Amino acid sequence: MRAIWTIFKREVHSFFVSPMAYVSLTGWLLFSGLTFWMLAGYYAGQPFGNSAQDSPLTAFFGQTTLFYLPMLVFVPLVTMRLIAEERNRGTLEVLMTAPVTEASVVLGKYLAANVFWLAMWAPTLLYVWLTSRYGDVDLGAVGTSYLGVFGIGVYYLAIGVLMSAISPNQLVSAILTFLALAGLFVVGLGQYVFGDEYRELFAYLSIWGHMEAFSRGVVDTRYLVFDASLAAVALSLAVGSLSARRLEG
Amino acid sequence: MIRVENLTKSYGRHEAVRGLDFEVPKGQVCGFLGPNGAGKSTTLRMITGFLAPTTGTVRIGGVDALEDPIAARRQIGYMPEACPLYPEMRVAEYLRYRAELKGVPRASIPPRVARALEQAAVADVEGRIIGQLSKGYRQRVGLADALVADPPILILDEPTAGLDPNQIRQVRDLVGELAKDKTVLLSTHILPEVEAICDRVLILAKGKMVSDGDPQTLRARLTGGETIRFEGRGAEGAFRAALAKVDGLAVLRLAADGPIVRGELDAGGVTDAAERVFRAVADAGLALRELRPKQASLEDVFADLTTAEPAAPAAPARRDEEE
Repeated sequence: MRAIWTIFKREVHSFFVSPMAYVSLTGWLLFSGLTFWMLAGYYAGQPFGNSAQDSPLTAFFGQTTLFYLPMLVFVPLVTMRLIAEERNRGTLEVLMTAPVTEASVVLGKYLAANVFWLAMWAPTLLYVWLTSRYGDVDLGAVGTSYLGVFGIGVYYLAIGVLMSAISPNQLVSAILTFLALAGLFVVGLGQYVFGDEYRELFAYLSIWGHMEAFSRGVVDTRYLVFDASLAAVALSLAVGSLSARRLEG
Repeated sequence: MIRVENLTKSYGRHEAVRGLDFEVPKGQVCGFLGPNGAGKSTTLRMITGFLAPTTGTVRIGGVDALEDPIAARRQIGYMPEACPLYPEMRVAEYLRYRAELKGVPRASIPPRVARALEQAAVADVEGRIIGQLSKGYRQRVGLADALVADPPILILDEPTAGLDPNQIRQVRDLVGELAKDKTVLLSTHILPEVEAICDRVLILAKGKMVSDGDPQTLRARLTGGETIRFEGRGAEGAFRAALAKVDGLAVLRLAADGPIVRGELDAGGVTDAAERVFRAVADAGLALRELRPKQASLEDVFADLTTAEPAAPAAPARRDEEE
């Protein structure tokens, strides 16, 4: 347990001293700010004022592809370095010959990734505050939206950690994560394409359906269970991949 | 402290390490010598648990390293070959992190870090960012990391690679100091280094152990006694006559180059051979310009040990007395 905490602390620290962190955070803020500005402009031009259910915030959190597409890019940026960088630099040897288990390494790094994720989203609270100054905000729906965002982080970041564990360097890790997430996203669109018998399966994979519910204030625990299970599978595979590394060279 | 049995590592068809057996007792400084690609690093990586052996067992202080890797690794301070470090961290910060990771009790971390900084002579750069340090300093930060948890066993993969002569001496002195209460296994490809600090030398070639013994015995066995090289002024015949008076000496090579005569002598089992040569030459009224025992170079060692590959490892000189 102590090793997880030690690794977590170092990871968070080294992320926030790297220029990468600020480049991604700034890029993300620019992108989400632009999205919010466009949505706010659109809703301000609508004749029938803001209802809490139909506001720029609900749209921001669930009804626009502008919300999902950047995730496919920013998640790989957050997770690519976690394990692949250690392997590329050779520090994995120092790390894995310390008395720590593969599971503590993976968990420490995964928890740190969740902290970056939340740090990326923290500035968007400003949009909530701004909207609340000019209209009604359903704080319950805002809360569930953030819960949904957290859930997507749990799911996506675990896939990023897995890809980082199997990649020789950061670039490969970022590309694999992007491809995996984009693949899952496209497969998730199946919920709008296929018939009822398959719909449910695709709906779980789809972060679109996921966020649509959460942004309206509906907490669908099935999605959260799905996120957690997928994370557990991905992280176990990452642990397995790190252990298997000892067998190669 | 370290016991390796029938250790093998294969990469596909290539066997990097082939059936190693050895034991390093407590308090010994054991040198691993071999050319690049002999399997030194692979063996050290299997001992430290970074790689799993294809076959064989590794026991660290009585603990099977495959069954209980954490307990085994807790006893080892390891410095890998290229000494990889996190470039964005500061030296003391890195050592605190490593101490914590290695399970040093929280209250003991500051004194342990201070001690390691001092032992590895990096206290003057404790606040510097690792990425900005010179190779020599980085190497010693790696050494400080190996020392920080005060482990009973130190495994150092080429600890002096990339250091300048002064730093090499510092590292040697430090290893000598540490050897008082630690077991040390280090690898190198520099023969004098082994002679300077090791109690015992294991020589690896093509993944097999070709020699096991203390450094002096090893050299003697390899060269079959001492070779003396000299250079003098005078007639070739006069030199030959003077040298013939020294018993047991064989002239390997003798040639005149104008007024200068150069030669190589096999001292055989003669003690003080160089002194006797000096006297014989001086008594004959000839001038000596140079006289030195020729050191067996590492190339000689490997030419000798690897061209005629023995069926079994050479007779272990010290192992018997230790058991």
